Amino acid sequence: MARSPRYYMLMASLPPLRPYFTSGQTPISRLRLDRRLAMLEPDDRAELAEIEDLMRWDRLPLDITDREILEHAHDLIPRIRSSTLRDVLTWRLEVRTVVAGLRRRTLGRPPPSRGERWGYGRWVRHIEQQWSSADFGLGGIMPWVAEFSRLISENDTLGFERELLGVAWQYVSRAAEGHYFSFEAVALYVLRWDIIDRWAAYDGELAQKRFNRLVSEGLGEHAELFEASLS
Amino acid sequence: MDAVMELLGWAGTFSPLALGAIGSMVGCMIAGQAACGALLEVESGYGRFIGLTALPSSQTIYGIVVMFALMAHPVTVETAPGLAAIGILTGVGLMMSAISQGKALASSINASKAKPEVFGLSIAPAAIVEGFAVFVFVFALVLAGSLAG
Repeated sequence: MARSPRYYMLMASLPPLRPYFTSGQTPISRLRLDRRLAMLEPDDRAELAEIEDLMRWDRLPLDITDREILEHAHDLIPRIRSSTLRDVLTWRLEVRTVVAGLRRRTLGRPPPSRGERWGYGRWVRHIEQQWSSADFGLGGIMPWVAEFSRLISENDTLGFERELLGVAWQYVSRAAEGHYFSFEAVALYVLRWDIIDRWAAYDGELAQKRFNRLVSEGLGEHAELFEASLS
Repeated sequence: MDAVMELLGWAGTFSPLALGAIGSMVGCMIAGQAACGALLEVESGYGRFIGLTALPSSQTIYGIVVMFALMAHPVTVETAPGLAAIGILTGVGLMMSAISQGKALASSINASKAKPEVFGLSIAPAAIVEGFAVFVFVFALVLAGSLAG
């Protein structure tokens, strides 16, 4: 993994990230962050963009399928040069897999059938086998699964997102320890920035904008038809 | 063989300065990059960040002094092994300490940018690294004085 001297400048130019619960907004705007990230080596910048595209689920197009996301993950993660970043991405997707299982079970749907591609990582088969267990038998490894399960079953969406982002923040922060002026440090900074940004985005006005965007995407070419009928 | 020994002797004489200067260049560059980054983020206190970037220069000064101490001994087949051993090892020691000091200063700048009140304390690791350079410098002078010829 290339260690460019310019990363000393890049990391020193970024403001510190406080735990996201205490901040109502990101300490640096996306525009300014992108300007600073222009200091990245071209290969590193491309890799970081791919990592962010995979991690920012709220930016994914509406028509993308689970299979396509999984194929993209299986294609991207082995190509990531840093083992630290590979571990973080794998862990984040495994958490998403657990959450997908919990949501599916809460909706009363049956466990995924053998061979169905619905999750990523080491625990997919384990979850299928332990479907009836409250924490999928993962309590020892992922102690927060029971709390996730409770919040999802109580339909406490905001509480669940807070817990989920909190767990992700802690994991990424731990992974960032020991990385100070390298590409890993930059990438883990951006992933933590994304967590703060996501929490800050739980705002009525922003939610309405996102809802409108999703509706527009969903309507696609039929949008004009609806606009015409309304006028 | 004598020519090789003389070459080693001259290399040893110049190494403290040459390697010390290389270390200072890299150390100052690392600290300077961090200082420039911090300048983009902070609104005041620019001078102290830039001032810190000069700290790894001291290894070059130590190298100059050691070089003059070694130059007091003529380069002969008898003195060359001692000059080479003392000079090259001193140079490596000074170079490594300057690079390490640059990295310590980059962390110091990064930390004090976020919390200005820790500025003084955050320089302590870089000062400790400087202490090891001083050890190398002092004992290189002691050993240079004990060289025969």
